[in-house]
Amino acid sequence: MDFDPHASTIESSSADDIVHDVQNLGIKEEASTNITCFSDVFNDIPIHFQIICFPKQIYAWIGCQTARFGCLYAAASTRPNNIVSVTSLLGGTSDNTGAGIARRIVLKTGVPVTLACNIPKDSPMLEAHVEKKLIQKLIILGYTKSKSQAVIS
Amino acid sequence: MDDASSYSFPVRHKNFSVQIKESKVDIVICSYDDQFLVIATEIGTMGTIMHARKEEGMLNTPTFNVSVIFGKRDEPMLLACARQLIEHISNSGSSKPLTLSLGLKDHSMEILKGIVSAVIENRLW
Repeated sequence: MDFDPHASTIESSSADDIVHDVQNLGIKEEASTNITCFSDVFNDIPIHFQIICFPKQIYAWIGCQTARFGCLYAAASTRPNNIVSVTSLLGGTSDNTGAGIARRIVLKTGVPVTLACNIPKDSPMLEAHVEKKLIQKLIILGYTKSKSQAVIS
Repeated sequence: MDDASSYSFPVRHKNFSVQIKESKVDIVICSYDDQFLVIATEIGTMGTIMHARKEEGMLNTPTFNVSVIFGKRDEPMLLACARQLIEHISNSGSSKPLTLSLGLKDHSMEILKGIVSAVIENRLW
């Protein structure tokens, strides 16, 4: 796929200049973020999980049947008393399925979470299943509240 | 679970680091069915999250809507970065919107141009 030099306002005037500049940036293959992708099946419904672990935050995506992005939520411990707050960033409301999952992940791990999911509403069994699978994987990845509190301190 | 030869995860992604000036920026690019997600961070968190989309209109030249949905709302260079990328996505023939997350210490033009260049070089559109 070629870069169209007229399609952007980037000052480099040709694709060669951009590639040269990028090479001078020293792109390395390795990154310090860890991405975990896995899939599961619940009642013949394929469920896909993607977890991106940042040093101080978790991003997770849950896909039910499709790879649509879904609604995006953010949850974190906030003042006062470190109560967990959750908000909808894209689509949805604070009462939707993903909001509850995001909130409970923060309760379990103590780490701020950004969660995207396209789980249908009014599917409590599915919701419980995906949340359980996600938490299990987060524990395997080393996220427990005691560990995250140690990391934060 | 099917074996690796018949199963492929439905979301493509790329994960790499780039050195810009004195900063090591981790970049993740994901392609979902209906959206692209780009995360560039050097601070260990996702930082400011923006949403950018192409607006359907009657004009020949496309217009784009770019907004901050989480984080700093007073850094126009961050919005400019999102604007650059959504325009490139649109010009590549995709109508998918973009969710861009930037967790940066330095919001200088050099850093942001470097991120835009690196993302375009490793794009999934």
